[in-house]
Amino acid sequence: MKSTPPAKGSKRGIKPDAATLARMLYYLTLTRESELRLEQVLYRQGKIVGGVYVGRGQEAIGVGAALAMRPGDVTLPCHRDFSVFVIRGFSLADIFANWLARGDTPTRGRDNTLHIGDLNLGVIPIISPLGATLPVACGVGLVLKQRGKGNVVLTHFGEGTTSLGDVHEAMNLAAVMKLPVIFICNNNQFAYSTPTEKQYAVKSLALRGPAYGMPGERVDGCDVLAVYDAVGRAAARARAGKGPSLLECLTLRMAGHSAHDAAEYVPEKLKLAWAKKDPIQRLEKFLLARKIMTKQQIEELHKRVHQEIDAAVAQAEARPLPRGEEAVEGVYCGPDCWWERREVRPQK
Amino acid sequence: MKTLTRAQLHEIYYYLRLNRRVDEQLTLLYRQGKVVGGVYSGLGQEAVSVGSAYALEPQDVIGPVIRNGGAMLIRGYRPRDLFLQYLARQDGPTNGRDANTHFGDVARGVIAPISMLGETVPLMAGIALAAKLRKEKRVALAYVGDGASSTGPFHEGVNFAAVQKLPLLIIAENNGWAYSTPTSKQMAVRNMADRAPGYGIPSAIVNGNDVRAVYAATRKAAEHARRGGGPVLIECKTMRMKGHAEHDDARYVPKQEFEKWRKKDPILRFEKYLAAKQQMTAQEKAAIEARIDREIREDVAFAEASPFPPPEGAARSVWADGWK
Repeated sequence: MKSTPPAKGSKRGIKPDAATLARMLYYLTLTRESELRLEQVLYRQGKIVGGVYVGRGQEAIGVGAALAMRPGDVTLPCHRDFSVFVIRGFSLADIFANWLARGDTPTRGRDNTLHIGDLNLGVIPIISPLGATLPVACGVGLVLKQRGKGNVVLTHFGEGTTSLGDVHEAMNLAAVMKLPVIFICNNNQFAYSTPTEKQYAVKSLALRGPAYGMPGERVDGCDVLAVYDAVGRAAARARAGKGPSLLECLTLRMAGHSAHDAAEYVPEKLKLAWAKKDPIQRLEKFLLARKIMTKQQIEELHKRVHQEIDAAVAQAEARPLPRGEEAVEGVYCGPDCWWERREVRPQK
Repeated sequence: MKTLTRAQLHEIYYYLRLNRRVDEQLTLLYRQGKVVGGVYSGLGQEAVSVGSAYALEPQDVIGPVIRNGGAMLIRGYRPRDLFLQYLARQDGPTNGRDANTHFGDVARGVIAPISMLGETVPLMAGIALAAKLRKEKRVALAYVGDGASSTGPFHEGVNFAAVQKLPLLIIAENNGWAYSTPTSKQMAVRNMADRAPGYGIPSAIVNGNDVRAVYAATRKAAEHARRGGGPVLIECKTMRMKGHAEHDDARYVPKQEFEKWRKKDPILRFEKYLAAKQQMTAQEKAAIEARIDREIREDVAFAEASPFPPPEGAARSVWADGWK
């Protein structure tokens, strides 16, 4: 499975420096270990309210994309993009507290999982009816274009989502209006239990790009450097006023649709083949081979990550659950409801 | 593929002329203040409706939209049906409840046009699915305009049909304008057919003002679909020769556009072809015109003499009580 050639007019080769590479490994590892803690420990202990959705095996997409962002850029991640939230500035404790439905989380205990956002961090929350975020991304893109500061908006979605009408309307609008939108498709080959053969009849979703009049590229979604490069080039095009791009990042969903899905419909052979492409192992190999990090440094990184997660989970568990009297707050809007009192400060 | 016989060529000519005359008559009735609501003309686009509908078999089903009156005539509706509709009379296909072309009939293989344009596509995909499940040699043909192709339902319908390899034909009727939106503001690709590779389906681009080209492309696509080859998108390039409707004077369309396309008039073009190939004598042409004159005269008179629906019946078919 090869990546397609880069879009015309842009050479491959956005190479991150050593510091960025180290950050990449940190975020990949933090994401993997945090999600394991959520899915394999907290969920099984009955401490999570609701379902657990992880992006195991697909971490390179969120990390590569979010690290390519600049101040003022906006992102619309989806439920398998844990890393995007951390990279944009949500605290790990806040994220765990949200999963644990605590009262003082970004959603104040009202919505768990990763349905959190903050315009000051340039993150728009996930919309459960998948696909609905894409036209929203176009709206953001229109504002960014009008402001003329060269900012871009990234929108993440899966291959199942691409069958929805909203996606069509958004891609068409972005192309016609030359909006600075980067459409990032995480093709992890299964939409719940629907395999790609039952999702679309085209050979590669990247071909939908030219069908709308924008560049389309297929990217190795398990290679954080490939994602970082592709998003960086798409962003450069968008910043220069050349409009949107579609990136199809190929991965495999290494866990079930959610923690309650054993995913027996995913062939074992496929899982084994894609386990060999694990994004974290690949980056570690790369860093060691280029002598950018040593084995000891990597081990220390793992240790630090575990300590960080332990601290964040402990902090989150110590937070109080929401009080019953607060249940109706934020449902009806009155003059002194907390929603009215929020401030939205302009981004740095 | 067999060539069209002389008789078939005459039939096609008849439908082209009838299509245009019905439109002209409706415009006349509108100007006389006799129409309830708006009148949407298919002037200049007759070859798309006639060429495509004529290429189908009796068991096929069409999903026309408002400018495909010619297709509805070919499927067995008469001018009086359209006049009764627009004049909101009791004996029209919707008993005076829809003063437009939102009517259809399973027996004639016509699915009523849906105002929310684009929605016809997934609906016709459903019909195609039924045909496939029943192992019938039936094709479903959906008409969609350039504007409607930007809608979500269009995408969902085409993608579903492609994955399921359904016998769905899409006549992508590109008439240059979606109300006042030119195609340059509708899509960032040059052709509606450029969408097809994104779905993994074959496509064709034809001159929508060449009735024989539209016929041939539809026939070929239908054969492909009947063999189990899946959906085909046929883009027919034409021009909307009037405003969006009679109440729209289309001042936003550059005058040169109309002049350019007037020269490509589909009926004129077909007449030239028939003359060059000596496929229609002056007498045969006159006979067709006389037949159309009589039909229109009779059907207008019939429609104008038809009663309006009684007010007491207004709530009938609104509630389901008594519905079996």
